[in-house]
Amino acid sequence: MKTLDLEGLTISALGPLLKKKQISPLEITKSYLERIGKLNPKLNVYLAMAEDGALAAARKAEKEIRQGKYRGPLHGIPLSIKDNIATKGVITTAGSKILADWVPDHDATVIERLKAAGAIILGKTNMHEWAKGSNSINPFYGTPLNPWDTTRIPGGSSSGSAVAVAASLCLGSIGTDSAGSVRNPASLCGTVGLKPTFGRISTYGGVAGTGGYTVNHFGILTRSVRDCALLLNHTAGYDPKDPLSSDAPTVNYTKALGAPVKGMKIGLIKGYFEQGIVSEVRRTVDKAMNTLKSLGMRTQEIEIPHIDLVPAAQAASTRPEANSDHDHYLRTRPRDYSPGLLYSLIAGLLTPAPVYVQAQRVRRLICQEFDEAFKSVQIIVAPTIFSPAPTIDDCNRGYIEADGKRINLQDRAGNFLTRYTIPFNVTGLPDMSICCGFSSGGLPIGMQIVAPPFREDVVFQVAAAYEGATEWHKRNPVL
Amino acid sequence: MQDTVRRLNDEYQFKLTDKEIDLVAQQAEEAALLFKPLFEVNVDGITPLTMIDKRVRKIPAAKKGKK
Repeated sequence: MKTLDLEGLTISALGPLLKKKQISPLEITKSYLERIGKLNPKLNVYLAMAEDGALAAARKAEKEIRQGKYRGPLHGIPLSIKDNIATKGVITTAGSKILADWVPDHDATVIERLKAAGAIILGKTNMHEWAKGSNSINPFYGTPLNPWDTTRIPGGSSSGSAVAVAASLCLGSIGTDSAGSVRNPASLCGTVGLKPTFGRISTYGGVAGTGGYTVNHFGILTRSVRDCALLLNHTAGYDPKDPLSSDAPTVNYTKALGAPVKGMKIGLIKGYFEQGIVSEVRRTVDKAMNTLKSLGMRTQEIEIPHIDLVPAAQAASTRPEANSDHDHYLRTRPRDYSPGLLYSLIAGLLTPAPVYVQAQRVRRLICQEFDEAFKSVQIIVAPTIFSPAPTIDDCNRGYIEADGKRINLQDRAGNFLTRYTIPFNVTGLPDMSICCGFSSGGLPIGMQIVAPPFREDVVFQVAAAYEGATEWHKRNPVL
Repeated sequence: MQDTVRRLNDEYQFKLTDKEIDLVAQQAEEAALLFKPLFEVNVDGITPLTMIDKRVRKIPAAKKGKK
């Protein structure tokens, strides 16, 4: 058996070695558990380990592969799961005090599908309390730290998932995203983060109250675009347990990888994605655009006339939808929320019903505007976040200083860290954040690649072409 | 808005302090201002979004580059 350096390892690189029996699933799982044991105290990534289940699954995978019963590219692959996704027999807190002792008696559909593909679940990853924020400063379980600079936040709310992938503490992770919670930490930690089309991955088994029903998505975090496609292949598709899941046909997403992008047109939206942008992020994304142009792609400015209403539509949707799940706990255990979240939940109770309905009408209008834009371009590219990762101190004081000015992390329109990602929650469009460079301080910077509904294949096509032309994904944080 | 928050406080038994009531009221007032422009849009004939359309959209074909 070979021994492998886990740092920077990908599913695509490990899979063939497992298939050829050159690496043992048990050994690789033990190696990850050992690395987690060493680094978790420093990074605060995992809230609960599923060690016994992981080792049992690894033994089973080893036996099956030895017997020639190879299940496919996820067989024997160690993964992690955000702690707001139900895992049978493994504590699932949603980063909250209220669910501190909850052990689900069922698996989320996504977990069932991953287990059926032979994947190994290592444990549950830390997150922002109830997934309601993006700095992941968690008063109950501590803050997961950015592996590129541990004085900085990793983003969120799927923070632990992104840190686990970036720090090679698993080979991929499943997160949730109702305002950017997969793409935001992917951007700040330098990983791939996919929020597929609304309904593409079943959300059955997601902890209620961790995302508005019409904006929440399950998503995927990996080290490479190919790995992400492999995971989507095994998680996408209709689920009768989730009334919001879609029966739109799935495809083999790896087939889009390597397809030429020459002649494809990129849509650029001015204005909205320039609000507060730090010059270093702008320059990095501009360079990424030049790389895409060097591959034969062209750009075109497009207009989404009502895009500035996205923050209002997002807030008016999320607050009532998520609040309906918190009503019981607000009545029985209000002081078991952190104070900031409690105040925001109470304020959310005051959203009038007509505001909610009006927001849904405006959302359809914005969807129609994106539909119109996609008649002339194949994809849209935009920065994922306006700045590289802020420090924990920045978040506590509420602003960053960049380019000689102060930029507030929160304003009336909501959380500024998710300002660039929420248009694709409001519209449900498939969107991937991919690392497109590093700041002068060595922090990752992400860009979003967005396609029409259910065209994740186009996202993969462009993301793979970009990744193939660059080396950013090969960097590893020094730990 | 403070009175509305106080009514909620009584109904839900939050036991908020006066300072906390002010904080929540301020957030609710800011949200009301945020939501106001939603009503300045003409959405006549537009049905509220309930879930994303299931149909797969055809994207325009990429223009062939010069050989």
